[in-house]
Amino acid sequence: MNQACAETQRTEAADAQLLPAELSALYTAHSRAIYYLALRFLGDSQKAEDATHDVFLKALRHLNQFRREASARTWLYRIAINHCKNMRAAWHDRHVFASSENEYFERLPGGESPLRILETKELGGRIQKALDGLKPEYRLLLLLVSDQELSYEQAGALTGQTADAVRGKLFRARKAFAELFQKTE
Amino acid sequence: MKPENKFSTGRHQEQAAESQSAESLAAHTAAHEFQSVEDLLRHDAAQTTVPPEIARRLSESIAQPAPRHSWWRKLLG
Repeated sequence: MNQACAETQRTEAADAQLLPAELSALYTAHSRAIYYLALRFLGDSQKAEDATHDVFLKALRHLNQFRREASARTWLYRIAINHCKNMRAAWHDRHVFASSENEYFERLPGGESPLRILETKELGGRIQKALDGLKPEYRLLLLLVSDQELSYEQAGALTGQTADAVRGKLFRARKAFAELFQKTE
Repeated sequence: MKPENKFSTGRHQEQAAESQSAESLAAHTAAHEFQSVEDLLRHDAAQTTVPPEIARRLSESIAQPAPRHSWWRKLLG
């Protein structure tokens, strides 16, 4: 785990102290993965915040279902994917990128140097633009397999396909992303 | 089920394919050069901060009673 990752996890652990014990550990361990998936899948920080809130609230209210699942991360992803797809189906505003990125980066914690913020903002903006240009299925697959806690089998189960199908689509998704990413320079 | 290690020796061919696409990715920042799209996204995720408002809103929502569905909604699913 790199330094930035460790720092954000400490922040999430501090935030989780507000929550009841049964949700606190889940939130500390998985909130960043869920928020990141929502942020980059929806392309809007406010909607990602709403989605993350709703996912963990649903998780708390259905904890009995989680205990039958093999992996908390997979279970939370399943809730998040369904929720984000429903949100995308419910709104048709596809031009939220420009304003949302600025809003997101205004939330970076204090102490970040202006150069670091500029770098992060530029890179995050380019990633979002490239992801926005992908088919939603490719975008979701790339986001899922970039999580090292998730296997191709699990990514396939979450998206209703085999691991082999995931591999085939990933090849095309990476190529499409690389082309789109280059255009953002 | 034990998750497959995506970076184990069994995935050398895939890693080679990833590296090939990474060459065209050429994702550089002042301090980083990424080997694959997944690496780039992992870095982006590591830089992402979860807004503290989410935990605050969650604690408020949890304090509220869960919404009760009416009997006819339960019946109709």
